[in-house]
Amino acid sequence: MSTQQPVLQLQNLTRVHGAGATEVHALRGIDLAVYPGELVAVMGPSGSGKSTLLTIAGGLDTPTSGHVIVENTDITTASVKELAALRRRSIGYVFQDYNLIPALTAAENVALPRELDGTSARKARVEALAALEEMGLGHLADRFPDEMSGGQQQRVAIARALVGDRRLVLADEPTGALDSETGESVLALLRSRCDAGAAGVLVTHEPRFAAWADRVVFLRDGAIVDQTVRSEADSLLSGQVAEA
Amino acid sequence: MKTWFHSWRAAIRIARRDAWRSKGRSALVLAMIALPILGVSALDLTYRSSELSPAERAERSMGAADAIFRDAEVEGVPIFQDPPGEMHTPVKEYRDQPWPNGPTDVTKAIPAGSTVLTDRSGPAKLTTAHGLLSTDVRELKASDPVSRGIMTLLSGRFPEKSDEVMATSHFLEASGLSVGSTLSARNFDRTYRIVGSYELPDALAVDQVNALPGAFLSAYAKAVEKSGLSAPGTSTSYLVKKSGGFTWNAVQQINTKGVVVTSRDVMLDPPAKSEVPLYAKENWGSYDSSPAADAAALAAIGTVVGLAMLEICLLAGPAFAVGARRSRRQLGLVGANGGARSHIRAIVLSGGLVIGVAAAVIGTVLAVILTLVLQPVLEDTMNQRFGAFDIRPLELLGIALLAVLTGLLAAIVPAITASRQTVLASLTGRRGVRRSSRVLPLIGLAALLLGAAIALFGSIATESFVIVAGGSAIAELGVVAMTPALVGLFGRTGRWLPLSPRLALRDAVRNRGRTAPAVAAVLAAVAGTVAVSTFMASSEAQNRAAYEARLPHGAVSTFVLEDGGRDVPAVREAVQRILPVDVRADVERVSVGKPGCRPWDGGEGCGRYEVVLPPANECPLYATVPAGEGDPSERFTPEQRRKLITEDWRCDQTSRGGWVSVDSGLLVGDAKVLQVLGVTDPGAAKALAEGKIVTFSRAEIDKNGTIGIKQVTDLAGADRAAEKGKPSPGKISSIPAYLVPKDQKSYGVQLLMTPATAKAAGLSTLPAGAYFSTERMPDTEQRQKLDGELAKLGGDVEMHVEEGFVNESSLFLIALAVFAGLVTIGAAGIATGLAQADAEADLKTLAAVGAPPRVRRTLSGFQCGVVAAMGVILGSAAGVLPAVGLRLTEKREMIGYYEEAIRQGWDNGMSGPPYVPIVIPWETLAGLLVAVPLGAALLAALVTRSRGALARRAAT
Repeated sequence: MSTQQPVLQLQNLTRVHGAGATEVHALRGIDLAVYPGELVAVMGPSGSGKSTLLTIAGGLDTPTSGHVIVENTDITTASVKELAALRRRSIGYVFQDYNLIPALTAAENVALPRELDGTSARKARVEALAALEEMGLGHLADRFPDEMSGGQQQRVAIARALVGDRRLVLADEPTGALDSETGESVLALLRSRCDAGAAGVLVTHEPRFAAWADRVVFLRDGAIVDQTVRSEADSLLSGQVAEA
Repeated sequence: MKTWFHSWRAAIRIARRDAWRSKGRSALVLAMIALPILGVSALDLTYRSSELSPAERAERSMGAADAIFRDAEVEGVPIFQDPPGEMHTPVKEYRDQPWPNGPTDVTKAIPAGSTVLTDRSGPAKLTTAHGLLSTDVRELKASDPVSRGIMTLLSGRFPEKSDEVMATSHFLEASGLSVGSTLSARNFDRTYRIVGSYELPDALAVDQVNALPGAFLSAYAKAVEKSGLSAPGTSTSYLVKKSGGFTWNAVQQINTKGVVVTSRDVMLDPPAKSEVPLYAKENWGSYDSSPAADAAALAAIGTVVGLAMLEICLLAGPAFAVGARRSRRQLGLVGANGGARSHIRAIVLSGGLVIGVAAAVIGTVLAVILTLVLQPVLEDTMNQRFGAFDIRPLELLGIALLAVLTGLLAAIVPAITASRQTVLASLTGRRGVRRSSRVLPLIGLAALLLGAAIALFGSIATESFVIVAGGSAIAELGVVAMTPALVGLFGRTGRWLPLSPRLALRDAVRNRGRTAPAVAAVLAAVAGTVAVSTFMASSEAQNRAAYEARLPHGAVSTFVLEDGGRDVPAVREAVQRILPVDVRADVERVSVGKPGCRPWDGGEGCGRYEVVLPPANECPLYATVPAGEGDPSERFTPEQRRKLITEDWRCDQTSRGGWVSVDSGLLVGDAKVLQVLGVTDPGAAKALAEGKIVTFSRAEIDKNGTIGIKQVTDLAGADRAAEKGKPSPGKISSIPAYLVPKDQKSYGVQLLMTPATAKAAGLSTLPAGAYFSTERMPDTEQRQKLDGELAKLGGDVEMHVEEGFVNESSLFLIALAVFAGLVTIGAAGIATGLAQADAEADLKTLAAVGAPPRVRRTLSGFQCGVVAAMGVILGSAAGVLPAVGLRLTEKREMIGYYEEAIRQGWDNGMSGPPYVPIVIPWETLAGLLVAVPLGAALLAALVTRSRGALARRAAT
């Protein structure tokens, strides 16, 4: 699909929870590559392994076997410290809700990964303000999370996910707690960031939001059962919606 | 370094805003840390401000003068003195010779060319608005520039004429007089006008009146003598101002004339110890505290500070843990955004830092403000004006740093616990049972065994309280460390309990990490309280057993021994009028010499009496021997001494209760005295009526069955005879005696005869006072009224109302129990908050399966109760033991002392081996064991909302 190096590469990834009688195979041999400028949607029913895939891709959980390569680094062999550093410099997360730290303003939330990385408070703030400005959120900079709407919070979270040199956004149902109109505006922002060169993985169970993606990956019982490119996805989704 | 700094800045920002967001919890922790800091800082400020510099001290004692000259009263022989002029002794040793005792002319020692101001003072009974007030009258020219600084004029002006005085504000308040009033004294025809009020900056509560030199004291003394009484003594010193001042050498020069000098120069620049000959003299060393004692005091202070900090940490730690648990998702988010474990730790630790710094600042600032605002109150309490308001930044900073340290220490464990959680677990809110450390309980057990061994060693092998207390402290810390393991033991009892308490107990036991600190905090507070209560209850029982009534229960005695007893009728009448008196028994005392003499007055025309002790009845251990023959008791072996003290009636000094302030316990009165004192022996009353002297002591009866009373009028001759070990000269009156059986209590009365008997024997008597029996115990109101009435007489009235043993420690015990209760409820409340933060999901599940809303309440009530109960049970057990150990040590010490006393031949009036009981304060224990957990549970249930916030499913 592209001649560029993938930002995220999952190779034969498996994850087994528990052992013996309680053994659960959350992921079975997943292979996936996400390239710069690409937004990949992951869909599937509850318990299909969507969220496990995302947590392992971001280094919050470790796979039972297989490899996760982020920006040419195999994170499955990295130490806890290195993983934390990787999250500060390469990977951004957006969750369903409660994404922002209530004690910090929007700008401070965005600046947090940079400050934790040791950048001076002033420089981190400049970068954060630039990121917010770029996404049209400059007016929110000094508001606390409880002074913002859910949609605004999610957009600030996306700004934080991509501050600095980070190019990989892992979004776990970022629109789950929002009404559909606000959800659309959040996805539009995510889409525009990917168009500007970032790579994104979006977990959702709403076909409408998956339509923003370049590719849709379907998971069932921990395995990829289908993959579509964007044009195919559109027709496939409309068919599915009609069936439902 | 820089990286580290920047990431900490972010952590502190989060912690600061979090602290602000949860104001209630922050305020609680802040108060816990700030209050002790406030107290200690205020104490430091007060102490430092009240501590005067040498220059300030010099100004308050000698004004603008350079020195104070005083007579050493040693007939002018050369003396040695210490630099402040507080101690002095003749240079020459007077081992077997009479000590020089007489005045010298101080003015001859004052160098020529000096300015001199005389400062003379003496007591006088001044007439006030209420009656009479015994007051110090000081003749000093207060308006003279030399005396400036000794007295601070508050209002009016200094006296300028001989009929003008000024008075201290305390005197004006006590006397009901004011500036402009006139003032006089008893027996005195002159009157004085008060023209001003003043205070002595070093003695605010002194009643003093200032007059011009020569204006009051001499004339007053003449007037008193004219009315047949002895003139009150006066003391004179001289304020001397001389250019160049007085160096230590000059002071020593003046000492050769028998004059003591307090010099400003010496105060400002004291000589080295080696330059003070007095210190080189035997028994006159300068008493500095030894390094060992300093170290022990420092160790004691360190232990108290350390234990207080531990207690605060144990209380505040769970509060930080609650904070960390509540903001778990936030910490997870930080982790998801690349926060490493060190960052998470930094955020939680910053919470402690922020609160610690805030507590330090608030505590210190409040301490300064409070001390400044309360300065007049503090000065009145300390009875002294502050010098300069003395802020020592380094000391305050040190105290403030303790607050920061406490905050950080309290946050350490929660910080480590929070950083150990995986990011995923924090984000999803998954809970696991957190294992508590396995090493800690083992260390605790080791400390417990070691501490107990030390305490045991201390109480068996030594008599050192420090070792017992230290061992107990180590053992106590061991129990604190063992708390998680001990809490686990409680879990087994859960099986039989109904749902809510079972759930509460299981939850507490499964989450020992949060339960243990709270239980430990309760344990430490309760253990301390129980230990002190047990110790005090035991001491109280001992004091009750050792209490010696001075009179039968409810009886009253009054004595007035001055001024020839002329106030006695008024005192007797006042008591009878105000108190519910049943029987009044007037008593008189035998007087020798001028009637105006006070007892033991050695003045002109005064005398004394002695009750003759027949030589055959003298205890050989205390026999009078001629000078130079040494201590008679040293002629006996320890075994002989023991036998004499315990078996020989002549050496029996067993008390029959109470004491009387009249010489030899010899009173003159009728059978009513026996009645009031409860002496029921019919023979005694009969003997009185027959003109016999009734005695309670066998030793004074001679072989003829009479008792001799010797009137000594030649006091100087008596002193000379005593030096030679011979009897004093004097006329002896012999009176037939009657011995009261030994089982009768006499309350200090040794001998009693009727006035008629005394008169027949040629003894003159003076009114001394009275005994009263009462219909019921006089109440506080009556006693206050009587005190007021007696104060109006301005005399020295000695009054005693026998109320039996009054326990003074009970209020303290109650305060201590209340404190422990508050700590318990606080700690249990914090632990409950923590449990609630954790149990939200359980409560939702409970609600989902149909549990009624009140389960939420009962659960939180039981959670609180469980923590309180566990802490109180463990604490009570841990507290009783050291108290018992300390009491056993005390008992060993007392028995050792008793045996030594017997062996050496001292009779300490002990009637047998000491009684050292161990009493467990069951009331306090019951209150702590039952009421406190119950109260904590009810309180927690009351403040818990029945309905939780609507459940929002956490992202998984």
